[in-house]
Formats: sequence, structure tokens, C-alpha cells
Amino acid sequence: MSVTPDACRHARLYIGADPRGLPADVTTHLEGCAACRGFRDEMQMLDGKVHAALELPLSEFRRRAPPARRFALAASVLLGVMIAGGVWMFRPASALAGEVVQHVEEEAGSWDGRQPLPPAEIAGVLRTASAQFDSPYPVVYGYPCPFRGHRVAHLVLQTPAGTMTVMLIPHEPLRRRTAISRDGMHGVLVPAGSGSVAFLMREGNVPEAMVDEIVSRVSW
Amino acid sequence: MNTASRGTTGSGTFTRLLEMLRPDLLRFAWWLARDRSVAEDVVQETLIRAWKSREELKDPAALRPWLFTIARREHARLFERKRLPTVDVDEVEALGDSALASDGDAALIDLRRAIMKLPDEYREPLVLQVLGGLSTAEIAMELKLTQAAVLTRLFRARNRLRTLYGLEPAEDVE
Repeated sequence: MSVTPDACRHARLYIGADPRGLPADVTTHLEGCAACRGFRDEMQMLDGKVHAALELPLSEFRRRAPPARRFALAASVLLGVMIAGGVWMFRPASALAGEVVQHVEEEAGSWDGRQPLPPAEIAGVLRTASAQFDSPYPVVYGYPCPFRGHRVAHLVLQTPAGTMTVMLIPHEPLRRRTAISRDGMHGVLVPAGSGSVAFLMREGNVPEAMVDEIVSRVSW
Repeated sequence: MNTASRGTTGSGTFTRLLEMLRPDLLRFAWWLARDRSVAEDVVQETLIRAWKSREELKDPAALRPWLFTIARREHARLFERKRLPTVDVDEVEALGDSALASDGDAALIDLRRAIMKLPDEYREPLVLQVLGGLSTAEIAMELKLTQAAVLTRLFRARNRLRTLYGLEPAEDVE
């Protein structure tokens, strides 16, 4: 068995460790060592395949965790948080309102929808956001947005009172209704079972009757 | 105003970045846990923790390695806290986990199985490097190893995979 020179052993360590990020001394060595160049080429080929192998197809990840495990995890997280001071459950509604407004501002294009979304698309948004909602008005925008570490249904409805943003937030319980008025938007945060629903409009105030009707059609 | 000047802590910007990285986080968590349910739990915990700690992230470019290190720690924490059973890779393979085999490329499936069977000490730095984009120095810091030890582990990980492609393993390094 041939003995590999130290310079080659050094080069091969770096090639094996990171075939595409070689330090200068290894690159210099490769210029004069055909055997190590061959090793580098093999390892770069292999590395491309390793990249492809690690890129698992995510369609296989849709299956949810068993309910018992999810419940146990949720319960343990909740207990831990409550022991830590109970601030999570009822963080100030004003902070939540501020984040809702900021989210809507940063997704300003959501106001521009005019065409009602197909029912299947709406159903997909609601499913991803773990919400159920039978909208009494056409939904012209919908996306399961990440919000405070969860997915929430960010919807825009065309109502007789005007364009209305409705965010279904299943993981943020509220004690009481909280008015929102900020940056030209007006609305309300409303408790809805174990979660909450945020309403925002850019023109005028959100009619109470609409709030009540919409909340009555939301469940988690 | 661009992302950098606003920082990464604007909630909309930050959540969009999290959303972009979630698929790779999920893959990473799967390769650590080799269990889909655990991977989902790890990612969920990671996103919550990242959200709560978002003010700590000053450099938007560091988001990816930052998230991956959180995920790694959440995975370790989950195992420690819940004392989850160790994954039997032969059992996972026998069950034909569809995450390994769903795209039907036989060579790729064999490689996934081989990666899955790598010892944790080799698989973890490999996944941190390839999926997480961590440098060897960052991996060393995260795993509390010397950089030389990380180089050796990464070398050995790839060296073990060479035989799948009919390549002779290289002489081992110390």
C-alpha cells in the first residue's frame, strides 16, 4: 500500500471536509498534484449528490404529528409559559394590534385584490392556518401568513361597507375587544374562543354588525 | 427603505424571511431527528423561539445559520425534555419512510439511506454545513469542538459515502 505524502493528506482532509471551499494552500497544492485533483473532482461530484439527497421533497411532510403528541407538546409549552409568569396568554392587546397593523402595512398589495378567490384556494388558506370560516362576503385575498410564530389566515373581504382585512388568529386569546386606530387604518381586535380576529379598514370604521356576523362564522 | 436599513426585526420582513427558510429548517430537523413528527415539532418551537428572540439578530445575513443553530438546540432540548426514544434507523428504513424514497431516484434514495445511517457525530456537521450553510468555524463553535475536529468529521462523513459511487475510500485522517 502506497504511503500518501503529508501534503496530500492535508489537502484531502480539506477536500473531504469542504470540497467547494478550499483554502489557498490546498489550491496551490492541487496545481501540482494530479492525484489530489482527481480526488477533488470525485468529492465535488459526490458533494453535488449529497446536496440533492439532503433536499428532501417537502410534499412528504404534510402529515401532522399524532394528536396526542401535539396536545402533549402544546400543554407542556403552555404550562411552562404560565409558570414563567403568565405573560404570554394575555400579552397587551395594544401590542397585538400594532403587529397586525404593521403586518398589513407590509403586505400592502393585499388591499388591491378585486376578483373573488376560488373556494378551493380559500379552503387551503384556512386549512393551513387551522381555522374554519364561512365568509358571508367575497374573499379577494387570502394567504396563510406567518405571524408570531404561527400561521394565521390573512383575508381581505369585499363588504358593502368597503374593503376589509380580516385576520384569523387562532393562537392569540384576548380578554376583551380592543379598538385599533393607527396609520390611517381603523378596526378592532375581537376575542374568538381560544383565539382572536382582527378587523381593519382604510376608509371608515368597521361596522359592529359585520364584526359580530363574521366572528360568529369563525371557529378553530 | 431596504431590509438591511430596517434590520430584521420588522415583523413583516422577519416573518417573510422565516417563511422562506422554513422548508430547509424542516429538512434539517428531519435529518437530525429522522422522524417527521419530531421534525415538525422542532421547527414549530424554533420559529416561536426565533420570533421571541428576533431583536437579538442584528445581521440579516446571519439569519440562516442563526435559525439552524436554534433548531439544533431545540432538537436537543426536545430529546432531553421528553426523553424521546432513539431512532432505530433500520426500523425507519424498513418502514420505507416516504421522505426518503418519494422522488423515485434509486441512487438518491440509496444515498439518503447512507446519510441516515451515518453516526450522529458525522451526520450533524454535514447537514449543518450543506443545508445550514455554516462554515467549519461556525460548526465548531456550535458543536463545541475544535475546527480540526470538525474538518475530520466532515471528511469522514463524505469518505463513508464514496463507496456508494464505486469510489475507493481515501486514507483516513487523524
